[in-house]
Amino acid sequence: MEEVTATVVMEGAVVGPEVAEATTAEKKGFKVVVAVDDSENSHYALSWAIDNILANRREDCQLVVLHVQHFVETTFMYPVAGHAVYAPTLSMDAVRKAHEENSKRVISRAVDICKSKHVDALTAVAEGDPKDAICEAAEKLHADLLVVGSRGLGMIKRAFLGSVSDYLAHHAKCPVLIVKPPKGSHK
Amino acid sequence: MSASGSSRGEHIVAEFDTENVEKGLFHQAKEGKITMVLAFDDSEHSFYALEWTLNHFYSPATGGGMGFQLVIVHAKRAMAAANVSGPGTSAEEVLQDAEMDQRKLAARTVEKARAVCSAHSVEAVVEIMEGDAKHVLMEAVAKHHADILILGSHGYNSVQRAFMGSVSDHMAHHAQCSVMIVKRPKPQKGTKKQTH
Repeated sequence: MEEVTATVVMEGAVVGPEVAEATTAEKKGFKVVVAVDDSENSHYALSWAIDNILANRREDCQLVVLHVQHFVETTFMYPVAGHAVYAPTLSMDAVRKAHEENSKRVISRAVDICKSKHVDALTAVAEGDPKDAICEAAEKLHADLLVVGSRGLGMIKRAFLGSVSDYLAHHAKCPVLIVKPPKGSHK
Repeated sequence: MSASGSSRGEHIVAEFDTENVEKGLFHQAKEGKITMVLAFDDSEHSFYALEWTLNHFYSPATGGGMGFQLVIVHAKRAMAAANVSGPGTSAEEVLQDAEMDQRKLAARTVEKARAVCSAHSVEAVVEIMEGDAKHVLMEAVAKHHADILILGSHGYNSVQRAFMGSVSDHMAHHAQCSVMIVKRPKPQKGTKKQTH
């Protein structure tokens, strides 16, 4: 099995001083980790979680927005030579940059949602395979609850569950909340 | 699939527009209360799920959980027809006895659930519904317009799931509302073993 790096690249406030105030989290506080990706579904899940779960316990809760960045491959197979060639560092950097831009966009959108609902949130970015990365991050962050959308980027218009949410429902160490899209939108 | 001219047109484009997502306009709340349906069988997993829910949603920090309405649903197995042979017994009697036993068992289970709730000073609606767990829960969610369905999980591995089926799996896929699966934390073993 290939190694998957699931390192938490950055943990901590990326948005401004008001987030730092939120980190007076008591040890007994309720930590909610919401995994977001590019999909509408996950941003809706964040919104829903704030409305329904954090609803009555603003002071006690700590919200963490987690994004898993695409893993940058270090080797590419070039068809010409027939054997693996290490990708030139320039193209790797470009790809990595593109992924980071994407991450920033996703995170800032999530943070905007939090701000508009007057919730302070920490952000975290992990890299690697989404399933494992989210599981590990939730453990490292000592999450009390993990929130995910039900379908991610591979949206299928049926009563279907995305592979990541399915995996997390079985393998996460903490309770998992799977947020379904609003009724009007499917079928 | 659907013919043209259907009044409930299929939305082929994005499922919901961005603005509304961010304003959270899809949040449904009846009188401001968030309805949680908790599935309860007699297992330790259910007890754990119930305790976890009560601890986290009804703690003093939440003001005693005023914004939440908890509905506990227990699925009682319906007695199908039984074929009984043997002297001195008749199918109806056996069926009646079995039915009585089931009812007593269900009542006891429900009492336990109520006891846990009272211990946390929480008033919850407790219901017994007859039938297979999956169908019962789908009905309960529809009936109470649940916002969240809370389930414990037996934590079966993939082989066990293939044989015995998984209610939490089924509900995670098919429920109309958000599903929260509360698992008991396993004791930490030496290395984390990946089943897939």
